[in-house]
Order: sequence, then structure tokens, then C-alpha cells
Amino acid sequence: MFINPKSVISTNPQSHPAQNPLVELRDVFKVYQTAAGDFPALNNISTQVYPGEFLGVIGKSGAGKSTLLNMITGVDDVTSGQVLVHAASGTVSIHDMSEDDLALWRGRNMGVVYQSFQLLSMLSLLENIMLPMDLCGLYRRTESRERAMDLLRLVELEEHAFKTPNLISGGQQQRVAIARAIANDPPILVADEPTGSLDSVTADHIFAVFERLIAKGMTIIMVTHDNNLGPRFSRHLQIADGKLINGNNPLLNGEQP
Amino acid sequence: MMRPRWRKIFHDLIDNKMRTLLVVFSIAVGVFSIGVIAGTYVIISNDMSASYAANQPMNVELRTGSFDSTLVDTLQNLRTVQAAEGRRVFNLRVRIPGNKLWTTFDLVAIQDYSNIEINLLRPLQGSSIPASKQVLLEKKALENLNVPIGSELEFQLANGTLKKMTVAGIVQDQTSGAGDFLAPPLAFISMDTLKYLAQPESFNRMYVILAQNGDDPSYLNELAANLKDKVEKNNVVVYRTRTARSDRHPMASIVEAVIGILGAMGVLILFLSSSLIANTLSALLNQHKRHIGVMKLVGGSQGQVFGMYIVLILAFGLIALLLAVPLGGQGAYALSAFIADKLNFNLTGYRIVPFALLIQVVIGLAVPLLVGLLPVLNGSRVTVQRALSNDLTQDTGTKREVSPRPESAFEKFRQRLMAGLARRGIHLPRPLLISLRNTFRRKGRLALTLFTLTMGGAIFIAVFNVQFSLNQYIEQIGKYFIADVTLDFDTPYRLKDVELAGLRVPGVQAVEGWAYASAEVFNNDHTAAGNVTILAPPVESRLVEPILVSGRWLQPGDERAIAVSESILGLFPDLKPGDNLHLKINGKEADWIVVGLFQFVNQEGTIAYGTYEYISRLTHMANRSFSFRVVTTDHSPEYQQAISEELDAYYRSQGFHLREARTGLSTLKTASESLNILVIFLLIMAVLTALVGSMGLAGSMSMNVLERTREIGIMRSIGAGNRAITSMVIVEGVLIGSISWLIGVLVSFPITYMLSSIISVAIFQSPIPVHFTFEGFGMWLLLVLALSVVASLLPARNAARLTIREVLAYE
Amino acid sequence: MRPTMVTSAASQDIPLDSLQGMIQMRQVIKTFKNAAGEFRVLKGLNLSIKGGEFVAIVGKSGSGKSTLLNMITGIDFPTSGQVIVNGVDIHKMNESQRALWRGRNLGIVFQFFQLLPMLSLLENVMLPMDYVEMYDFDQRPKRAMELLKIVGLEKQANKLPVAVSTGQQQSAAIARALATDPPIIVADEPTGNLDSRSASYIIDLFDQLVHQGKTIAMVTHDPSLTERTSRTIVISDGELIDETLAHALPLLKHHQMLEATRLLEHLSFQPNTNIIHKDTHVDYFYMITSGEVEVVLCGKKKRDVSVARLSAGQFFGEVELLRGGKSIACVRAAPEGPVELVALPRQQFISLLGESPLTADTIAYLVQQRIEENRSADRRSRRWFGKEVDSE
Repeated sequence: MFINPKSVISTNPQSHPAQNPLVELRDVFKVYQTAAGDFPALNNISTQVYPGEFLGVIGKSGAGKSTLLNMITGVDDVTSGQVLVHAASGTVSIHDMSEDDLALWRGRNMGVVYQSFQLLSMLSLLENIMLPMDLCGLYRRTESRERAMDLLRLVELEEHAFKTPNLISGGQQQRVAIARAIANDPPILVADEPTGSLDSVTADHIFAVFERLIAKGMTIIMVTHDNNLGPRFSRHLQIADGKLINGNNPLLNGEQP
Repeated sequence: MMRPRWRKIFHDLIDNKMRTLLVVFSIAVGVFSIGVIAGTYVIISNDMSASYAANQPMNVELRTGSFDSTLVDTLQNLRTVQAAEGRRVFNLRVRIPGNKLWTTFDLVAIQDYSNIEINLLRPLQGSSIPASKQVLLEKKALENLNVPIGSELEFQLANGTLKKMTVAGIVQDQTSGAGDFLAPPLAFISMDTLKYLAQPESFNRMYVILAQNGDDPSYLNELAANLKDKVEKNNVVVYRTRTARSDRHPMASIVEAVIGILGAMGVLILFLSSSLIANTLSALLNQHKRHIGVMKLVGGSQGQVFGMYIVLILAFGLIALLLAVPLGGQGAYALSAFIADKLNFNLTGYRIVPFALLIQVVIGLAVPLLVGLLPVLNGSRVTVQRALSNDLTQDTGTKREVSPRPESAFEKFRQRLMAGLARRGIHLPRPLLISLRNTFRRKGRLALTLFTLTMGGAIFIAVFNVQFSLNQYIEQIGKYFIADVTLDFDTPYRLKDVELAGLRVPGVQAVEGWAYASAEVFNNDHTAAGNVTILAPPVESRLVEPILVSGRWLQPGDERAIAVSESILGLFPDLKPGDNLHLKINGKEADWIVVGLFQFVNQEGTIAYGTYEYISRLTHMANRSFSFRVVTTDHSPEYQQAISEELDAYYRSQGFHLREARTGLSTLKTASESLNILVIFLLIMAVLTALVGSMGLAGSMSMNVLERTREIGIMRSIGAGNRAITSMVIVEGVLIGSISWLIGVLVSFPITYMLSSIISVAIFQSPIPVHFTFEGFGMWLLLVLALSVVASLLPARNAARLTIREVLAYE
Repeated sequence: MRPTMVTSAASQDIPLDSLQGMIQMRQVIKTFKNAAGEFRVLKGLNLSIKGGEFVAIVGKSGSGKSTLLNMITGIDFPTSGQVIVNGVDIHKMNESQRALWRGRNLGIVFQFFQLLPMLSLLENVMLPMDYVEMYDFDQRPKRAMELLKIVGLEKQANKLPVAVSTGQQQSAAIARALATDPPIIVADEPTGNLDSRSASYIIDLFDQLVHQGKTIAMVTHDPSLTERTSRTIVISDGELIDETLAHALPLLKHHQMLEATRLLEHLSFQPNTNIIHKDTHVDYFYMITSGEVEVVLCGKKKRDVSVARLSAGQFFGEVELLRGGKSIACVRAAPEGPVELVALPRQQFISLLGESPLTADTIAYLVQQRIEENRSADRRSRRWFGKEVDSE
């Protein structure tokens, strides 16, 4: 009858001993200068992400989870430490690349999805998905068009291919954003609160897409503030005050008679 | 199918039509004005002189007493002369029968119409050879007297009798525009008709084309002097000599100077339009930050992004070219045609000027690229983090990065100022404060907007000042023509006779006779240097109020003394009062003392004043004169007009051979009218720059409002109604307008000096004194305030229309 | 056995006394349209917030909570229904009138502070007074300074927003919201962008304001903040969740709460009436909306022993529902006043626990404790009353 609340969420980073990590964070610090002094947004983060994982990073707003994600995507600089990605194309150190190299590398190796979709409103869904292929030049034009159509089919939106983003719902836009993120067939997909502005039914759609991608061998890292999503990941980390912590469910602080 | 990135650029081009229009229009304005001016310059400088030269213009014109064809043959036989032709030129009053209004024509009698060798006539309409009692009208004459061929005109002879002649045809004499603006239009008759008009059947004008070196001014002067000698040796008086190069329209340098001014204005408009482009493009790049972030996020490199926006800018430029090039070509031709018409020469026809086209294409593409380079470079350098920071999940981390800014010196000053005011209990209303501070928020944008608006305003003000200065100058010139009525007679009359007759007309206060002489000036080595027309009023005359540059005016008892207009310095740069000039008057050479230099319009050549008392003796016209000045009791133009008509009638009735009675002011009026054409041109340019300026202001205000939608929402959420929002935007616009006015006032001073000097040098060959008038400052203040309100009205209305929901869109 | 009590129909009925409410929403429906179709964001909301209440509005993104807030502030308008704030039907005004009205009646506090960057803190605070023309022109600086003093910013008064920390910006935003002394403060995630120290300072400020009689409605998704409010309104999928249920079973997911809300029965009992008799079957899970109940071990000789008093937000009936069998004690309305309850039928309660292991665990833990309490109470009563009291 009685279950220790702490055991509800099991965090076990040692569950992938056999594989080599795909993404590796080594002693990552991120400090922001503020009026009140230095603010350590990330405080000595070291962790690994393994191929095929669906890793969740859960934390309250202000905990540093988005900063962590920005470190992985290279969108923001580290104050110190390293982020290594061991992709099939070779190992790279994200923060040792130039802005341009990184953009190209990211285009080919890492899809990024944000809470606010970030589709270009003047392009059709199909064109939005073709954009990364156009910019990275991995696919020929006819090829990229077919591939974009395939991706739309994957997220079940092929009938909307020629609509512009403002004509479809938020959940559909997020699916297009995912399709765009994986247009160049990157091994890693990174998502920052992808369901943050969606209702629960629509969010389930997004998870269904993620699960399909995981099944195809993709590695997904997603941050969220929603504790309830914990069980949907193959593994998740808690982050608070810029540090990774294990277990601890703040939701159980609710009152008891 | 277009690649997605080009598809994006394509949509950027067509989705926001207002913005595209603004950019395209900004580019097009510059390209258009440069195109018009460059095209006009090329067309005019080609056609003006070509058309003039094709007309076999005379090199030397001698205004003389009567002579016959033997003198013509004498000159014709000279080795240095290619062609000589004698004509008779005299003026008569003419009107349409039954019409009250008289105009004056210069009638030109030509011996052999089928064999004209000099100043060719180009037939336009009807016959080109007048029979007896027929006239051919020069094209310009139609401006004063628009009559169809076959109609009759009534000419009044000196003795008052009326003679009718039929208009047989319309011709063009391109050299007629080459003289002064004030010359009466021409009408051509045959020698047979002279008798009918009570004119001697002889010539009084000699036209000569030299056999060689017709393009060398010093050779021309030398030969003209030789010819004058030759003529005078044949006992024919030479009143005036004029020379002209055959390859170049005499007005060419003036016209080129005017086009030069327009060119300078065009370059300025180009500057202004480029600041407009810069403003719009940097706003565009700012708005596109998110797009750039997304493209970089999915793999776009800085180079790719840079390339995309450069292509966008080129597309703007191309559209602008499509618009501005044909319009510019048309405009250039229209402006050329206008000038050609004014100066009575012909264009060789509509054509595309390759030079203008090239300049337009280069400007249309290079200017936007140049001014867009920095915004695009900065835009393409934006990091994903910065580009998307507004949209990224709000995390303490990303938000913290915007740490409190260290306070700038300006900020500290502002705090002290506000605190100081507050201590004295002075608090500005916050809505006003918002407008005030908003004004200075985008300093770069403000600077560009101010630049355009200020330059437009400064030029506007300057044009008014220049016009005022010109009018002042003309008025000063008027001081040499103070007489209310000028009487010109066909034969000399005794001063007393004319005076007594004149004083019998009520309203006449005084009548003065003036003497005239034409003098040849020699260099020290006794080569001919040029001609001087000497006017000789009585030494006590009050009808000349000279603007002395140096020396003194004439005094009673001065003999062989003259005051010379400044333009003499063109011949003798070192001439000072007290120096001698070697003159030849009526065949007599002597050294004359120069007592003073005065300022005068240089168009009529160099003039000098002597004393009537001495000059009349010299020209054997003592106590007699052809020309009289009348002073009346009232100096208004209406009164002058009335009394001139009265004098006209009275002298004729008394048997005087009066040629013309002119009002003093009418001369001035004609002179300033020709200047007004120029001023109107300048004003059009000024208004154009002002328009570009207010377009810039409107653009800036829309961008400001667009960037501040969120703040406007906040204001709404704390109680600001439509009025508060609208007035906030308008007050900002008016503030910018007022600031630009203040700076414009300062900048207008140097511009006034510059413009005035360019124009006066072009017209008068010497700079004129600059005067300032409140009119320009005041009008521009009103105009810029009105423009500011209008320019911010639309953005303000858009701002007021924003509801908080759109602005703060939560979900 | 079905309890035989007065059952009020459902939430559709608006009690008369709430007409004095500061904020009232009646049958508010909001539908958004886009090319993808119609989307109902608010599905007929009824809500009454009384003067002086400190209300937290909680909901997931997309639940409609911001739309709900926009209805109250008049920033957005309902597709149908009425919103009456401080006695005014706010959607009967035009935009300009509403802006003025809003300036005088609502103080709005935003997540991102939204101070006007070109004005100093002091000027920001004065601005609303300028717009709605309250207080003499010369009085405004003094009043603004006093407000800044209240939020502890008098030393920063002449600085621009960018020159102070985010916590200070939010304090200034609150001072601005108070400028026209509005009866209502509406706050959208006011602490969402603050560190925890600043956040608690802001909430302390809110507490003080409530004590001064202001009504505060605050959207948040930080559960720790809802502890400090007097009332929590949970919105899920465009509908309000029963507040008693949300209070009693906070670990349920919102959509589970919503399903349960739809099945709730509303009951009320006069003082001293029995709600559960001893040794009867219990078919409902009861949650107390208002009033108190006594859990009583009914002595055979009418010597009842009250083992517990449960008040609003607490629940009973779970022991019997979970363990099966008959009630171990009787529960009755306390003598001091009537009791309002909501009751969830057994079937739904059980399946809810199945869906929410967290809730199941917590309740199981509670059952354990209560049984232990009962046992000790039993023992105590036995000791005190000798053989007179039976165990179980």
C-alpha cells in the first residue's frame, strides 16, 4: 500500500554501460553577469547522452534547463567546460567551432525544436521543411522535395503541404517544426519545451512523433518544466539551480490532512 | 520550383507591399532625379550648340547707321570674312486689329530670303518668304501674339499711322534666343515692305561669319574691331559690336551652370533617398532577425544569409530601375524640351542617353547595396541566441544575460536634470516625456531622418533666400533705371523741347535727356579688348543710385571720366579707381580716368556711366538726345503704365517721332520673371527634397510604432485611451520636425550662400550680395510642422488601432 | 446507499450572494477561429471572486487561463456570456473607454514587468495617474514616491528600468499597478521570471495588499505560490475544476480533475446531521467545501468520542472505499454550522486512483495513518471508559 514517493521516479544514469555516449558534457559552467553579481546558470554539469535515448531534462523555470540545451546546441557559449558530440561524421567539440561551421554542422547533425515553433510564415510547410536541405546542400532539389513530402507524411500533415503555417493549428505547426528539424536526417533532435504551448491532446501527438523517431534510432533530448512528463522519457534528469539532481518530487509537497 | 531560400526572399519582396514600395520609391526618387539631370545635361550640351551651330550663326554683329549693299560687298570680299549680310532692324508696336493691347516687335528686313547665309531661318509653318506687306513671325512672337497664318496685324509707325500686314508664315531664328532675355520678338519682312513702313531702304545691321577661327574669342574680338574700323572708315557709325562663337550657344554656359545646380540638388536627393533606404533596410533586417536566427539554426551560414538579403536589395534596386529609368528618360527629354523652347533652339529628337542610363543603373544598384551593406552584414552576423532570445523558452539564464546597463553620462545628466526640476516642483507630464524620450531612442534612425528632413528644409529656406536676394539685386539694378518712364525717339530732339512738352502732361515732375556712346576698349599693347556702352545722364541726375564697389561716382566737372561696371574686371583684372582706360569713341581715341567701379547685371556686357555734359559734346549731340527719362509724382506700376500711355499719345500728337514709351518697372518685371523660372525650378527641387524628407519621417515613425507595439499595449493596459496614444506618436513626429527645422535654419545659411553664388555667377557672372528673408524660415516651419503631423498621422492611427490583445498576445 | 441530503444541481446556478462579487463571469464562452477550424477555449465559465480575495488561477499552457485573465482585464472579449468587474459589464465599453476604466479599476502586473523603458521608475509609476487623470498634477510625484517606498525602491526612483534588477523591476511594476489605487490587481505569472528570493518578496507585497482590502487574481503555474493564496482556481481545457476537489486531491492531473469535476455531486448538511453512519456502506468519497465535520466513534452508550474534526479542503470516506467494508466511524456535520460537501461516486474514485498512482500512494499513506489514529483513539477511549466502548 505505501510507496515511498521517492521511488516513483527512478533516475539511473548508469543504465547504458555498454554504449559509448553520443553527447557528452564535461564540467560545463555558464555564468551570467547581472547587477547583483555573477549568476551561475549552470554549475559544473557533466553528463552523457547515449544513442537511442529519449532523454528528458526537467526543471522549474529558472533552473537552467534551457541554458543547458543552448549549451548542447551551441546557440549560447559556455563559460568553461566542453560539449562533445560523437556523431558518425566524427567527434566535434561544439564550442570550439566557428559560428558558421557550427551552423552548418548543426544543420546536418542536430535538429532543434523550440516551444514557439519558429516556422517562417511566408513559406509553405513543404518549403519550410526543404529550407534546411536547401541551406546545407545535402540533397538535390528534386530529392529534397520528395524527402520533405515523406517527412510531412511522417508527421501526418501531407495534405497541408502547400499551406502556410498560420493556416494550421499550433500542434500541427510543432509537428512541421519537428519535420524541419530532422530534414537533414540528423542523429540528434533537441527540443526545448516542444509541448509547452500545446494542450494535452496535441502534446500527445507530439510525443507520438517523438516515439516514432526514437524507434527509428534517433536520439532525442528534451527539456520541460512539466514533472508529469517524466515517465514518457526513457530516462530523465532533474535540474535545479543550475545543477543536475536525482529524484526528489516537489509535487509531493502538497498538503495532507 | 524556386528553392526555399529564394522563395523566402520573393515573399519578403511581395508580402509587405508598403515596405517594398517605400524602399523602391526611395531608390527610384534618387535614380529618377539623377537620370533626369544627367540626361538633360547630355541632351542640352549636345543639341543646344549643335542646333545653334547648324544655323550658321553670325560671329560679329554691328549695330550701325544706315548703309547699303556696297559695304556688305566690301566686307564680303575680305579674306577673313566668309559671309557678310546686311539687314535692317527696327522696332514697331503691333497689335491684333481691334485689340487694345500693344506689343513691340523687332522687325527684320532681309534682302534675299532664298539666299540667307547667316542666322538661317527655319520654316515652321506657311511661307518662308514674305511678299510685300507680309510678315513672317518668329516662333517666340506667338507667345505674345498668338495669331494664325493669314491673319492681319496692325503696326503703328513712329508718326502714329497704322499699317496692316498679313502673317505669311512662322519661322524660327535660333539666334534670337541667344541674345538677352529682354529683347522683343522678331518679325521678318522683305526689303520692299520698308517703304510701306516709312523706313529707309537701307541696312542698319551687319552680320558677319568669319572665314576661320570662329571659335576663338580673342580672335573674334580682334576681327570685330577690324570690321568696325572698316565700317567706320566707310562713314557709317557703329553703335554697338557684339561677337559670338559659332560652335557654342551664347547661353550655353549659363544653362550648363543651371543644370549643374540641378545636378548638385540631384546628388543631394540621392543622398537623402539613400538615408531613407538605409533606414528602411536596417528596420527590415531588424524585423527579420528571427528569420535569420531560424535559418542559422537549421544550417544556414552567414554567407548564405548575407547573399539572400543582398539579392533582396538588388531586387529592390531592379524594381526601382524599372520604374525610374523610363520616367527619368521622359523627364530628361521633357526638361530639355522646356529649356530648348525657352532658349529657342531645337532638340535632335527623343533618345535614350546611354550615359544617363548607365549612371541610373549604377546608382540604382550600387546605392542601395552600399547603404544596405552594413545593416545586412550586421543582420547576417546575428547569433541564433540573440535572434531568437525573445521567443526562446524563458529561462533565468537567457533572461539574465540582459544585465542592468551601466548608466551613461547622458543618463546621469538626465537624472540630475529631472531631479533638479523636481526639486523646483517642475514635473513634465509623462505622456510628453514619453514622446520626448522616444524621439531619441533610435539615435541612428533619428539622425538619418533628421538629415533628410533638415536638408530638404535647408534647401527650401535657401531657395527663398536666394529668390529674395535676386529680387533685392534686381531692385538694386533698378537703381540704375529709376525713371518712371523711358522715352526713346527715332531722331534726336533738343532737351528743352522734350522737357517742356513732357511737363505739360499732368503728373510729370521732370524730364532728363541721356546721352549714349559705344566705346571700344584697348589693351596696353593697343589690341582691342572689348566694348563698353557708356550711358551719360546729367551729372546731377538722381535717377541713378549706383552700388559702388570702389571709388566714387561722377561729379560735376568730370571730363573724360567714367564709372565702370565690375565686369570690366573680366578684361582688366587689376583695374582700380584712378587708373586710366584707353577708349575709342566715335573714332576718337583717348585715355579716360576710371573714377569708380559699381555693381551691375553683366548680361548686357560692360557698361559705364559718364556725364551727359561731356559725352553729348563728344558725340556731337550737345543739348540733344534720343533717350529721355521721365519722373512722375507716383511710382506705382499702374500709374507708370497709365502715364506712359499718356506720354506716348501726347508726344506723337505733338509731332515727336516717338519710338517707344516704356515704364521703368516693366523692364524690371521682365528681368525678374526670367529669374523666376529658375527659382521655380529650384523650388520644385526643394519641395521634392522636403517630400523625400517627410517620407523618411513617415517611414521612421511607422518603424517606431511597429517596434513599440508592446509598449503601446502596456500604455493601454494602464489607462491610455486612443487620444493619448495618437497624440504620443504625433507629438514625437512634430518634435522631430521641429528639431529638423532648427538645424535646417542653421544649415540654410551656408546653403544660401552657396546657391546664391552659383546662380548669380551663372546669370550675372558675379556673386550678388545675399539677403535673408523670414518668409522662407516661416514657411518652412509651417510646412515642416504640417508635414510632421501628416507623416505621423497614419502611424499614429495604426498605433491607436492596436488592441492590447494583439500586443501582449499571451497565448 | 445514496445519501439523502439536499443536492444542489450543479455549478451552473449562481448563488445570489456572489452578486456582490468583485469579479463575476457568467456563462463565458470564448471561441477562436482560424483556418484550421473553430476552437473553443472557454467552455461556459462561471466564476465569482469576492472583494478581498487573493486568488490563484492555475492551469497548464493551453488550458485557457490566459484567456480567462484577458476576459477579466477586458483585453479580450467573450464570444458569449457576461463579465462584470467591480459592477461594470466591461465588454459594453469601447476600447478607449475600457482603457480608461482599466486604468482606474485594475492594476495589471505582467510576467515580464513591462515597464516603459524610456521612463524612470518614478515616471513609470506616475504614468497611469496621468492617463486617467487621478490626483492633482502636483500630487502625483509625491504619491508615486510613496508607492516606490512601499516596494522599497525610493533610492532607485530616478533610474531607468534597465538599470535595476528584474526583481526591482517587478516591484516597480507593482507600484505602478497601485498608482491609481485600483480595487483589483491582476497578475500574470508575476514571479515567473524571478529568482525565489525576489518571488517571495513579491508575494509578501501581495499579502499586504490583500490585507489592505485589495482583490488579487494571479495566474501562476508555480504550485508553491498557490499555498499563499486564499483560493485556487484550476482551469483545464477551458473548464473550471471544482475548487474543493483540486484542493483535496492536488496530485491528480488536471484532465483527471476535470473528469471528476463533471461527476461531482454537491451536498449540504445542517449542523449535527449525520453524513456517514457507522457500519453502513460508504459509496462516496467526500470532500469538504465549507464548514466542518466531526469524525465520531459512536459509543454504544451514546458516549460519542470525536476523534477528528475535518474542515474545508479535507476529505473522508476514503478508508472505507479503499479497504472495503462498512464505515468504522460516523461522520456528521459539526454543530457550529452547516456543511457543504462535494461527493465523488465510489466507482470513479477507484478508477481515478488507478490512473493516478501518486494520489493512490498518498491516500494509502493517509488511510494507514487514520486507521492508526482510530486505533489509538479506540485504545484511549477504552482506557478512559473501561469496557463501555467496543473496538470496531
